[in-house]
Amino acid sequence: MTPDSPCLHLKFAMPSDARYLPVVRGAIAPLAAAIGWDEPDCLAITLALDEALANIIRHAYHNRADGLIELECRQSPDGLEVTLLDHGEAPDKTKICARAIACDQPGGLGTHIIKEVMDTVSYQATPAGNRFVATKRLKRTP
Amino acid sequence: MKIYIRDAGETKIVEVEGDVDLGTSPDLRRTLFDTLLHAPKLALNLAAIRYIDSSGIATLLEVLKHSQSRNKEFVLFGLSPAVQQVFHLTHVIRIFQVFQTEEEALGSA
Repeated sequence: MTPDSPCLHLKFAMPSDARYLPVVRGAIAPLAAAIGWDEPDCLAITLALDEALANIIRHAYHNRADGLIELECRQSPDGLEVTLLDHGEAPDKTKICARAIACDQPGGLGTHIIKEVMDTVSYQATPAGNRFVATKRLKRTP
Repeated sequence: MKIYIRDAGETKIVEVEGDVDLGTSPDLRRTLFDTLLHAPKLALNLAAIRYIDSSGIATLLEVLKHSQSRNKEFVLFGLSPAVQQVFHLTHVIRIFQVFQTEEEALGSA
């Protein structure tokens, strides 16, 4: 794939309702497989994005089901870039923390998974909404 | 997600089928807490789980802590490959008593 070639590019809009999470999961795993990841990596990428969506539902929209979440997945020359946009409460960056390894407390697991799976993760409050961007590189075998 | 409960002596065996996520984990949590009221030991079969997220793992951690505080036993068995991968990603595999088969799980006390 060259920088100028057409690429896989998926856009979704979904209500902030957990009932729709399986629909998105059903699309992410085949997308990751089409780009070139193996089955365990496809599951890991799906899980990480599902966790990011769940965090928006829980923390930005406080489990209200009438919010809007926009999801954009774009194949990049070296892998995958995902952008999530919501219009809920902006994330408090001081409270975004992954849990300690092998700790038996239930909190922070989702953030831990996202950081463990994706190569880069960023959160930004913008005039258009809260923007979460994550990337993952495809490690090609020579 | 579907949940089935049956008895094996004094142990309650709970079988979960399908996806455990933000939408379904409250039902699983409610069932496990209710079931633990009525037995000294609960064995959870995870073989038919296709997908589990952090809310599902958090539910299992909550049930484990609840069982320990009441001197009851909570064990897992039959982890599907998808569940095993999420357990490893979240580093919780060592926190639980995990068995391959129902027989091993029942004989763990």
